[in-house]
Amino acid sequence: MFRSIWSTLVGLLIEDGQLAIGAILALAITWALANAGGGSAQQVVGWVLLAMVLVLVVANLYRAGVTARARVSSARR
Amino acid sequence: MTLRGLHVAGEDHGPLDPAHEPTGCRSGGIGYPQRLSADNPLVDPVTLAIHATPAFVASAVEFVEATTIVLAVGVTRGWRAPLIGTFAATATLAVIIATLGVAIVTIVPELLLKGVVGALLLLFGLRWLRKAVLRFAGIVAIHDEELIYQRELAELRAQGLQRKEFDWIGFLVAYKAVLLEGTEVAFIVIAFGAAGGTALTAATVGAIAAGVFVIVLGAALRKPLTMVPENWLKFGVGAMLCSFGVFWFAEALGMTWPGDALSIPLIVAAFLAASWLAVRMLRALLPEGARVEARNV
Repeated sequence: MFRSIWSTLVGLLIEDGQLAIGAILALAITWALANAGGGSAQQVVGWVLLAMVLVLVVANLYRAGVTARARVSSARR
Repeated sequence: MTLRGLHVAGEDHGPLDPAHEPTGCRSGGIGYPQRLSADNPLVDPVTLAIHATPAFVASAVEFVEATTIVLAVGVTRGWRAPLIGTFAATATLAVIIATLGVAIVTIVPELLLKGVVGALLLLFGLRWLRKAVLRFAGIVAIHDEELIYQRELAELRAQGLQRKEFDWIGFLVAYKAVLLEGTEVAFIVIAFGAAGGTALTAATVGAIAAGVFVIVLGAALRKPLTMVPENWLKFGVGAMLCSFGVFWFAEALGMTWPGDALSIPLIVAAFLAASWLAVRMLRALLPEGARVEARNV
């Protein structure tokens, strides 16, 4: 189990570093919002986290696509 | 939504405080299952099914990988040693789950545990989802069980076998494969079961069912389970892991989701929609057949 958690974290930080950092940031922002915003903020933090993670996934994959396209173009030259 | 009562209208002690309980979802709701207790040992089938399904699907993926290797060893070198290796690894895993899993869910405060497990599930799920999207888009090669099986066969045949001795190579290869893939199953069971009794029972049932299903299918076919749509499963499980992660982390911070666990399908749908959008976007971005190593994207 520890190996699994470790490989996930290492994989995230090395292979998918920006996604991991973005996800940790999103979790931290959500936590800060819940603590600073009071009861009403607590009731929306889940939606805020969901929105942030969805944007993060699409943005990260878009960046991956752009990177892959650049690599393919340079390899074909 | 609470299927079994036990609402506690306690004081609000703030997010991630062990004494804090999200309104309306104290132990008993689907999203906040009850811990093991002598006075409420029953698990209703709906709760069981909801918690067992993600664990079943996620574990099935890992079992397919382990079964492929055990089959390769068995076909090449005989069945005795790999089967003993498989049973030994299963026993090791049972001890890990029994000690760590039960200790974690009984000692660590519930909301703190939910927050930590929610964060881990989200990180774990995002990785699966990203890889599955990259595979669907054709950027990363699809996981090929047949290729892995043939490679394993060739390696084992090259090592040879002396018939009279116990086949330690066969034992160790099977033990290692089952233990390594099994640790991922253990993580999945503990993660999905971290909320306590009902969830732990359901996650364990889901994982055992997946193991039995895959092993029986593998034994019946005597060949790698190439027909299992692994990337589809990883795609679905990635979305589910992310959804449970978001759901639990927000609950740990004090949020009450509308309809409690009924929000989960909505969150899953949002992740699937975003992933589908990402697949379309990547296919539009890249020329056909352009593959790049995952590490490079």
